[in-house]
Amino acid sequence: MLQTIRLRKTNQLFMTTIVTLLVSAMVILPVSAKQAVPGQKTTGKNTKIKGKAPVNKDVLKVTLPKPYEATLKNGLTVLILQDSRSPKLPTVSMQLQIAGAGDLFDPKDIPGLASVTASMLREGTKTRTSDQISAAIDEAGASLGAGAGFGSSAATVTASGISDNIDMLLDYMADITLNPVFPEKELTRQLTNQKIGLQNLRTNAAFLANERFNKAVYGDHPASVRTTSADALAKITPETLKAFHDSHYWAGNAILAIAGDVDIKDVMPKIEKAFGSWEKGTSPDMKWPEPPTPAKSTIYLVDRPNSVQTNLVLGNLGITRTNPDYFPLLVMNRVVGGGATARLFMNLREDKGYTYGAYSGFSSLQYPGTWSASSEVRTDVTDGSMKEFMYELNRIRNEKVPEKELEEVKRSLIASFALSLENPQSALSNAIVSKIYHLPANYWDTYTDKIAAITADDVQRAAKKYVAVDHMTIVAVGDGNKIKDILKKYGDVEVYSIDGQKVGS
Amino acid sequence: MRIVVRSAAVVLLSLCSLIAALPQTESAAKKAQVKFREFRLENGLRLIVAEDHHAPVYSIAVSYNVGSRDERRGRTGFAHLFEHMMFKGSGNVGDGEHSLLIANNGGGDNGTTDEDRTLYYETLPKNQLDLGMFLEADRMSGLDITQESLDNQRNAVQEERRLRVDNQPYGKTFETVSNLAYENFAYQHSVIGSMDDLNAASVDDVKKFFSVYYAPNNAVVAIVGDVNTDEVLAKAKQYFGKIKSNTAPPQIDMDEPTQEKEKRTTIEDPLARLPRISVAYHISQGETDDYFALSLLSTILSSGQSSRLYTKLVKRDQVATGAFGFAEDKRGPGLFQLSVSPRPGKDLGEIEKTLYAELDRFKKEPVTDSELQKAKNFAIRSHISSMSSSLGIAVNLADDAVNFNDPNLINTEVDKLLAVKKEDIMRVANKYFTDNNRTVVITQPKAKPAGNQ
Repeated sequence: MLQTIRLRKTNQLFMTTIVTLLVSAMVILPVSAKQAVPGQKTTGKNTKIKGKAPVNKDVLKVTLPKPYEATLKNGLTVLILQDSRSPKLPTVSMQLQIAGAGDLFDPKDIPGLASVTASMLREGTKTRTSDQISAAIDEAGASLGAGAGFGSSAATVTASGISDNIDMLLDYMADITLNPVFPEKELTRQLTNQKIGLQNLRTNAAFLANERFNKAVYGDHPASVRTTSADALAKITPETLKAFHDSHYWAGNAILAIAGDVDIKDVMPKIEKAFGSWEKGTSPDMKWPEPPTPAKSTIYLVDRPNSVQTNLVLGNLGITRTNPDYFPLLVMNRVVGGGATARLFMNLREDKGYTYGAYSGFSSLQYPGTWSASSEVRTDVTDGSMKEFMYELNRIRNEKVPEKELEEVKRSLIASFALSLENPQSALSNAIVSKIYHLPANYWDTYTDKIAAITADDVQRAAKKYVAVDHMTIVAVGDGNKIKDILKKYGDVEVYSIDGQKVGS
Repeated sequence: MRIVVRSAAVVLLSLCSLIAALPQTESAAKKAQVKFREFRLENGLRLIVAEDHHAPVYSIAVSYNVGSRDERRGRTGFAHLFEHMMFKGSGNVGDGEHSLLIANNGGGDNGTTDEDRTLYYETLPKNQLDLGMFLEADRMSGLDITQESLDNQRNAVQEERRLRVDNQPYGKTFETVSNLAYENFAYQHSVIGSMDDLNAASVDDVKKFFSVYYAPNNAVVAIVGDVNTDEVLAKAKQYFGKIKSNTAPPQIDMDEPTQEKEKRTTIEDPLARLPRISVAYHISQGETDDYFALSLLSTILSSGQSSRLYTKLVKRDQVATGAFGFAEDKRGPGLFQLSVSPRPGKDLGEIEKTLYAELDRFKKEPVTDSELQKAKNFAIRSHISSMSSSLGIAVNLADDAVNFNDPNLINTEVDKLLAVKKEDIMRVANKYFTDNNRTVVITQPKAKPAGNQ
């Protein structure tokens, strides 16, 4: 549970379902340097192929199951996917996504209000105290929780347990969503603990990198905010929470998604009963200020004394979920850094030994997400790592992906589709994405065909557009004394403290 | 303790859920059973196969009977470094080709090392059954590694250590706890090992380690998913059957001397801003009656917001932001580990006293019916969720066979937890939660306190 897991690489297998689950799934991160690195041949040696292992040439064609779908009179969308096992695994998991209640809708002076509102939902309702809720949920061995999330438009309430507990889970889920009272005593405790939690958060290098990156990329757009602050927490009262809840939690903007051992005929009336009284409300206004378009690359150094590694993130704005460039970007990203067989990993780890892992990733949301590449490298190879990052980012832009590599990457993406059939959550997450972004009904049925159609030209076009080597945001979190001068070689450097203050340039 | 009951309504509510939860969850546990068949090849390889046809996917888990406990002084971290070398080429597979073939065919793979065993696994679409079995068999047959590939993975592992330990606040705390608590070297040193020892590892060490520990008679292969058992057995004979068995590796002395008095130390953490209290008690081996009682005790102590520690330290006294405890499920003598994150400015000595008073209550008063039932329902829940993927099942089957010689634990473990009585919990609390059996590590922050945020 604690220190026992020593994996060879970041465990992507276990992460797959979690990543697809989140609407605003940030896949991973990336940067840019002023001077394009001259095309020296620093790339990793190719993997040695002996070619003797038996491979089945066929790719298993699969179709994802489609969930049952219904809309209540108040506009609440219900999606249900039954477990296909036989016998069924006797569990159920539910998530209620409420668009318009995420931290993107925080008032400017209270970052984190949506998160605190969500996490206070289970701290007391009109008829149940915090202790009563905890006791009932714990006694059933069940889980009940709620959260919002920085950069997210939605708040999410989750409940899971043995399928025989479904009545109780629905009851509690609806109760905390519709009838929270935000008791002062529980709020005070939670605010104090959150304030203390901020201190720990600010010692975490990965958080500091992510925070600075988003601040720089998003500017005035609310996705630039990645944490609450002591000042904001000081402004939160039961009244502020109640006001936020009253104006942001609406049935018409919500999706209730259920997966597991459930009987649809049996559960629908129960859902009606639990959530029928919820008001429809009004749609959230999803218009935000445009993120900035930088003219040149800038390096943001977060000086974290005593660091023994530098966390590097290089990247820029990406696409919305409905952008037709989604598929070219998906394939391009997979080539550059989307896994432990992709170029960044093969170069920075398997050839140079600079890091435990180097990846790239992208998010695609209601607003433009980001594309970024990232790694944690030991301090004395910060320069070498920057060089290799720039080499790989320039290479994907300037050279067409060799046909064999492209075919392998596409095959990898397409064949892995079969694995998502193991867990009903995967197909359900896809259905939620379809709902949120109004994707066509046959979207997931044609998903693999769209990947198959991507050409080397498509990949290069996506790279030129979304790997913005000459106007990137580059973040380095590490020991400033040791790395500041190195970073200057790659662009103008701004220096920040771990508390987020600009302390130099 | 249950939370102070405030009204008649609460009593009614908790009674209802108690009465309701009992038969429901227990029957749920009975529904979740894994049917498997077990074989032993002539070379001693143990093969376990479970068919599950609900998705066109299978997983293969190969668990080797070697972990960091088998390491000698001067080579800490070697079992894990060796695990990395298993991806760097074998007789018919090139450096990096293993993971590339898995990824290119839609699968996922990884390896992981702990104190007791080293595990490798793949999940693939079912039409790649031969691929997964061939790759695992080929690296069981023999490795093809070089000084260069060893140096490369040595670097990767050292960065893994920096990432998880040296560059993380509280990263060294856990290492310090086992280092101080154990006298026996086997569990005393960390799995990730020291930088110096990693630097000392040679190609010759890799060859010797392979020849001692990596043999079919020292491994278990579990294959779970959309497969046919007879076909898997035939292919196992084809791919694994020709690998030569070896003499059994040396037995490790796992005996831990009885601790005579409390051990205590304070460490300074330059990356942390807040203190932490870590406490450990020596306990029994995993999967024993004592372990099951301690496991339920730990749920009552710290799982969920109605747990004793959360209620006392976080909600009532408000001296901590979090507190938890758990019983290690190890093949040798484990630890019951506790960790408290105090609020700034609180008296650490007082918090420690409160923590020990909570542990003492288990010695004097029986836990309540509803607490015991809650803990059992948690256990059932986690039992069922461990069966939600072919990989989870394969890993459990292989690991339980290697560690406890009993792959059927996946089905019986939950019954053993359900059999625990209140008296058992009181007995293990008295047996293990003694002052002399305790190790305490206080982590003091040395990072600059926060300015304005």
